[in-house]
Amino acid sequence: MDEAKTIAQPDPKLLELLVCPLTKATLRYDREAQELISVKAKLAYPIRDGIPIMLPSEARELED
Amino acid sequence: MSNSRATDADGMETSYGYSTVSGREEKQSRVNDVFHRVAKRYDLMNDLMSGGLHRAWKDTMVSWLAPPHRKGWRFLDVAGGTGDVAFRIVERTGRRVEGTVLDINASMLGVGAERAARKGISDNLRFVEANAEDLGLPDSQFDAYTIAFGIRNVPRIDRALAEAYRVLKPGGRFLCLEFSEVDVPGLDALYETWSFKGIPAIGQRVANDRESYEYLVESIRRFPNQENFAGLIRKAGFERVTYRNLTGGIAALHSGWKI
Repeated sequence: MDEAKTIAQPDPKLLELLVCPLTKATLRYDREAQELISVKAKLAYPIRDGIPIMLPSEARELED
Repeated sequence: MSNSRATDADGMETSYGYSTVSGREEKQSRVNDVFHRVAKRYDLMNDLMSGGLHRAWKDTMVSWLAPPHRKGWRFLDVAGGTGDVAFRIVERTGRRVEGTVLDINASMLGVGAERAARKGISDNLRFVEANAEDLGLPDSQFDAYTIAFGIRNVPRIDRALAEAYRVLKPGGRFLCLEFSEVDVPGLDALYETWSFKGIPAIGQRVANDRESYEYLVESIRRFPNQENFAGLIRKAGFERVTYRNLTGGIAALHSGWKI
């Protein structure tokens, strides 16, 4: 990523709307890590260039 | 290998153009590759492939949708990465409505988000990368669900339609634009030649990628025809399902309502 550019911020209204595609449960936004956390599915969905990626195949698995 | 039309959702799950692939994961990953390769020239290629007709078809789609010029009206455009349909809907309403553009392909979304910023309509649109089969969106949120030239690339059409139904509000509208079965004698033969000779040749010249465009043409031929696709939409729960042929059935617009 080009560090000279400011990181695109995701749309707050979109973040409020999104749910986990597997469990349909609401998500917690981790601004620092730019991730959306699904507690039930134990997955962290990444946000890249301000675009949330709601694909389990792209998500990071969370440990207990 | 099969070059006849699928008649139901199952027939599309493992078809990759005329080839049969091992399963829906392989279909999805091969389709992803095609769209990563073509993303930057996708809209130009659509112009060349359809002789500019795709623009008229998309305009017709938005006219049939007739979005109200009302703030708070919300649409979801699936497989709409480059923003072609979403921009039209937003502009048609004097930039009043808001839309979510969803695509499984990051390259296509990147093109769309950049174009939205350049047009100054980023405030009306949000971009999200997700799968049409598992939307990652809550129930009953949208007044309209649109999908243009996307559904034939989805491995499990029935699941995509069920998701469309789920996220629409009661009273919400489903509208799908897709290539279909030509119903005009004479035009079918001409279209056949154009599709299998002309389009891959253009893909070769403009994008240096014959194979991706061969896939696109073959996938068009495999997709269920107007009546069979209307049946799938009804099966997902939609009511008052109708369709209109565009340019002799080269494309068709299907409409349904969540009542």
